[in-house]
Amino acid sequence: MSAVFKNVMDAIDIETFLVCSSESEGKELAIRMVKDMGIQDADIVFIQYQGPGARVRVRGYVHKPGANYGWLNSKT
Amino acid sequence: MQQKPILLAPLDPVHDIGLKIMKRSLDEAGFETILLPPDYKAGEIINTAMGNDVDTILISRTLGYGVADLLANFVDLAEAAGIRDKVKLAIGGMAVRPELAAELGFDAGFGPGTKPEELLAFIENKEYVPDKSSAVKEKSNLTEGYTYQYKHQGMERMLDQIVDSIMNWAEGKTSPAVKRAAIREKMLINQGEAENLELLSQYLGYSDEMVQDFYNDRKIPDKCRPLGQDEIDSLERYVEATKERMSAQKLQHVKDNPVVFIQYGTGCPFMDIAHIKTSEAWGADGAVHFDPSWAARTEGFLSGYLTHEQDGSIITLENLAQTKKHLQPSTIWQVRAHRGLNTPETVLLAGHLGADMTKINIVYGSLGAGTDPERMTVDAIAAIKYAAKFGMPFDIVTNEELCGVPAHKAFAGMLIVNHLARRLGASTVLQPLFCYSPEMMINGGMDDNYIDFNAAKIMALRQVIDAPIWPGAPIGFLTQDEDRVQSAMTTALHASLAASLNVDAISIASSDEAYSGGPIIASSRIDTLRATKEAFRFFGSAGIQPTVKAEEMVSTLVSGIEQVLQNVLDKGCFVQALYDGILGSKEDGAYPGRSGRGTITIE
Repeated sequence: MSAVFKNVMDAIDIETFLVCSSESEGKELAIRMVKDMGIQDADIVFIQYQGPGARVRVRGYVHKPGANYGWLNSKT
Repeated sequence: MQQKPILLAPLDPVHDIGLKIMKRSLDEAGFETILLPPDYKAGEIINTAMGNDVDTILISRTLGYGVADLLANFVDLAEAAGIRDKVKLAIGGMAVRPELAAELGFDAGFGPGTKPEELLAFIENKEYVPDKSSAVKEKSNLTEGYTYQYKHQGMERMLDQIVDSIMNWAEGKTSPAVKRAAIREKMLINQGEAENLELLSQYLGYSDEMVQDFYNDRKIPDKCRPLGQDEIDSLERYVEATKERMSAQKLQHVKDNPVVFIQYGTGCPFMDIAHIKTSEAWGADGAVHFDPSWAARTEGFLSGYLTHEQDGSIITLENLAQTKKHLQPSTIWQVRAHRGLNTPETVLLAGHLGADMTKINIVYGSLGAGTDPERMTVDAIAAIKYAAKFGMPFDIVTNEELCGVPAHKAFAGMLIVNHLARRLGASTVLQPLFCYSPEMMINGGMDDNYIDFNAAKIMALRQVIDAPIWPGAPIGFLTQDEDRVQSAMTTALHASLAASLNVDAISIASSDEAYSGGPIIASSRIDTLRATKEAFRFFGSAGIQPTVKAEEMVSTLVSGIEQVLQNVLDKGCFVQALYDGILGSKEDGAYPGRSGRGTITIE
């Protein structure tokens, strides 16, 4: 996970369009994309699939409420 | 018919609207239903199910923190009570997804937008087959039903005289573009190889050096790249697979909602096609081809499948044909031809390939797009004749307003081109800008709202002539910023105003409209298509009410147009009027173009 993520207040959202052949494939790809970034707590906020692919907003939680917030001690 | 009742229970302190909607559908379908009020505990719901011998329980719940545990506990309780194997369990509500429902132990999950037919299929143990008939789209004809009759007879008389003088002026005049188009016309008819080579040689005689080098020495212009056969084959496979999965949405909520165009020109015809397919899937009714500005200032077209890393996609016969080939049958395809040195040939190629529309405006091409007025006029007349020949309507875009030309001058120019087109047998669509007008930025006429002036433009045009109106391009221009929410919202608001004014079509931007760091992306196109759909849904047949200032603006616009037409008449020559700033002056921000100057010859 990037060291910069400690500065993320709570989560990162990735807004993109994934070329895929079904909604479930789009979800799987989106979640995997976030997990590949080193963020394990990933969820689909929004997805709409049509023939060419999926419009997706996938979220990776870096700091959920109650977590140890990296930004409290961040010097940047 | 189901014999046992269906229990509908909101496992929620408050919300039960979704269940009530579904209850109505189930009742209408002949099922016996029991609807519990909100705030029942899981045990109470299970007891009610057991007491009424139901075989389906439909739970509704808005998902949030801890709700997954609550729902899982409900399933556990049903198992403990011994009914889990006897009843079907389904959960519905905001954020519910089928896979989540399955994880929690439910037989099905229904999220927002669930159709009653989906629920009925679940209850009746049938596979849900979506009814796609509502998504079948037909191609719209924007000019249908319009008479082009003038309501302002004084303007009609002036326009008659102006067009007479244009036709007299243009008699016998020709240009390299007109000659190239004539040669291209012959090339499009399948000739022998030797004859085609001879025609190409003639064509190159009227072309710029860059074009000559391309054909003679295969010298590829900077930043351009020919696309390989393997790439073309891959595209074919991609589009075919995509088409099989396509089910286009409709953006319009009521019959009178305007047709919605997107504009494309990523630089690469393949990316264009991918964007068009995406836009079609999200409901776009039409697509407008944007060519690069350098190509508009180059005499002659290149050939083959070409991509480049700049705005606008290169017009070649092959690039256009590839795009056309992959459009949905209902998609209105427009190839714009309004501004450069290849106007007649662009219209010819577009018509030859079956485009539905093109775009021509002498005044904008001359005063806002860099083409010499004399050249633009000669070329446009030839282009309009091609448009008429192919029965291909064109819009007359008034983008010179973006340079600062006041709307009444731009409209006078638009009406002149419209009248010329009608004289030459073509059909037209008027395209006023629907934007934050530079003229009004300076004069303060839009300080209070973006509604009055835009509404006044439409109302003014309707006072003059019965013709189709397609505001653009894109709507909301200069109101968007780089934030996607703001950008999609202002597009949607302008779409609402356009719908409220019952115009025939609109062109919408993506939510990248104000971003200039790179090409538009697909998800940004979807943002504004979704926003526009929601705007149409929100307003339906209701409307937006301009203030009284709009009426004053209408009156000013109409009298302004009349005065400009009189000034053109007084000048005695439309082309000279362009050079002299009558239809937009240097003080306004309009400069007669220099591209193609001195190239007009007498035949």
